[in-house]
Amino acid sequence: MANKELLIKTLKHEKFTGGPVPWVPFAGVHAGKLTGYTATEVLKDEEKLFKSVLEVNRIYKPQGQPVVFDLQLEAEILGCELVWADDSPPSVRSHPLEDEAIVPCDCKIPRETDGRLPIVLNVMRRLKAEVGQDTLLYGLLCGPFTLASHLRGTDLFMDMYDDEDYVHRLLAFCTRVAKRLADYYLEAGMDVIAPVDPMISQISADHFADFVQGPYTELFDHIRAKGAYSAFFVCGDATRNIEGMCNTGCDSLHVDENVDLLAAKRITDAYNVALGGNIPLTTVMLTGNQQDNMKYVLDLYDSIADKTNFILAPGCDMPYDTPVENTIAAYIAASEPDKVREMVANYTLSDHSVAVELPDYASLKKPLIEIFTLDWATCAACTYMKYAVDAVMKDFAGKVDYEVYKYITPEEVGRMKQLGVKNLPSTYINGKLKFSSITPSRKDLEEALEQAFNEIKA
Amino acid sequence: MTKPILEEISAAMQKGNRKLVQELANSALVEGLSASEILQDGLMAAMNVVGAKFKANEVFVPEVLIASRAMAAGIEVIKPGLASDSSEQVGTIVLGTVKGDLHDIGKNLVKIMMAGKGIDVVDIGVDVAPAKFIEAAKEHKAALIACSALLTTTMGQMQDIVDLRKADPELDPRVKVIIGGAPVTEQFREKIGADLYAEDAATAAEVALANMFTY
Repeated sequence: MANKELLIKTLKHEKFTGGPVPWVPFAGVHAGKLTGYTATEVLKDEEKLFKSVLEVNRIYKPQGQPVVFDLQLEAEILGCELVWADDSPPSVRSHPLEDEAIVPCDCKIPRETDGRLPIVLNVMRRLKAEVGQDTLLYGLLCGPFTLASHLRGTDLFMDMYDDEDYVHRLLAFCTRVAKRLADYYLEAGMDVIAPVDPMISQISADHFADFVQGPYTELFDHIRAKGAYSAFFVCGDATRNIEGMCNTGCDSLHVDENVDLLAAKRITDAYNVALGGNIPLTTVMLTGNQQDNMKYVLDLYDSIADKTNFILAPGCDMPYDTPVENTIAAYIAASEPDKVREMVANYTLSDHSVAVELPDYASLKKPLIEIFTLDWATCAACTYMKYAVDAVMKDFAGKVDYEVYKYITPEEVGRMKQLGVKNLPSTYINGKLKFSSITPSRKDLEEALEQAFNEIKA
Repeated sequence: MTKPILEEISAAMQKGNRKLVQELANSALVEGLSASEILQDGLMAAMNVVGAKFKANEVFVPEVLIASRAMAAGIEVIKPGLASDSSEQVGTIVLGTVKGDLHDIGKNLVKIMMAGKGIDVVDIGVDVAPAKFIEAAKEHKAALIACSALLTTTMGQMQDIVDLRKADPELDPRVKVIIGGAPVTEQFREKIGADLYAEDAATAAEVALANMFTY
């Protein structure tokens, strides 16, 4: 079965029958962290973006993934000035309709050749060809309400009281932009069209019904008529608007940690809409450790009585610096919940100390390479690290000692704890951390080994 | 007990009806009410209600913005009288979004709520460098420095502001740093050693008021 089938079943609302849940990591600019590129580089350079999202696919094994997560793409084409950053998506600095309540001409609707669209569309096509067999690809676009606020600024909120007709007309324009973008993205091979509309969390349910529901219903009807799936993304506390969002006819809805997922799921289940969420971005993914991520995901998994219609995802676009091992931990917990339950239990056991005799690193006769993995057979990043070292070890047979550990028995958990291993996968040489999370290149590994030989001679 | 016309001013302001607020404020002056009475028991009382409703998720950003606009319209009417009334100074706060962060909706809401408490708010804008927060606090004799961040990547700037505040011998040691914004938490406040944290705009105004002083 292709990896993506699990997600397709969920988007078709098929009954959950146990085991893994689908996993859609929102690695936007974070994709660049995997390849050493800045946020600006991945959003402006086709090759760098392609290489980065391919790496996301390789390391995080998603059933679904966004190609680009940038709510400013359309705004930039429509005249908003952007401010760029190395570690986050750009921000809108200026609002072209700030001083004048007008609706742009339809001649301004982005063409495929405008702005950064050619880069995005090319990467969509290339990624579809490369991983489309196995992964559902999400084409993210800026939701009409957020796009309207990019164009008009904060006055949009007051227009909702002062000039309702203008808000309707501006949102109708932004919806036409969204439909056009959806068409481009579908032609480029996207499977799921996902409007992202964080500003929806800032308005009442009445305003949602008055201004936003109509445009979204039109957008989702359009996507459905084209034979594609839809996902409605919101950030912030949108609790009061969950029901309204379900009423727009979307196939799935994604929320962040500000929304009580279980309460939201009671609503989405009543409408038979799939619900994605909601690993906390900062407290768990960015600043937590691997254990926190495993535990959070497992607790979330266990708390959902009926996992039909559930998709595991970060609350929103992952922070650029999210540790790779934290995302891996989330993915492992989603794909191997039973095994992770054991791991978490073992971790607790290790606090009661399962004593293991560590090698006498100071008196080694030859270099000792140790790889610590979650479970190299199931964790993609662990597998790649092991294979990379395996390949180099062939050239050093007999000259170097080599061990690979899995974090699944009390003894091995105890070993990692005694050695102070913080992140998995990690490669240690002679008891010292050499490579954390990222698979070393052959050159880097050979250099590290050369240093290890010298240390032992000394 | 609050006079009926002040209750009417409050009700009109809560609905964002700036024209009615202006008419009622004029009538109140004609009735002989003082400008500061209209401000305190009419306009600021209304903003307190709006703040409480915002905190309780009963009203949202658009409602706060139109109420704020109605308040400004009311203040315009009573301004000449305010200058002659001797009202007690609450204190000053400098407020801005941290360097690299252009998201100012939250900051603007905080400004509205604080102004509703009678605090003199000096808005130093968006994308403000840490040193500028400190300089502004000295220049305006502020009791508090308020920093807002929406992004996980910019919230780290708050640490620099806290460090600079501690290291600056010219800054009054009573000046506190209050932080807030979507990714900011109480744990983060503790981690960076900031003095105060507020989870929303209404709470920020309450916390600020409790920590005000004048020079």
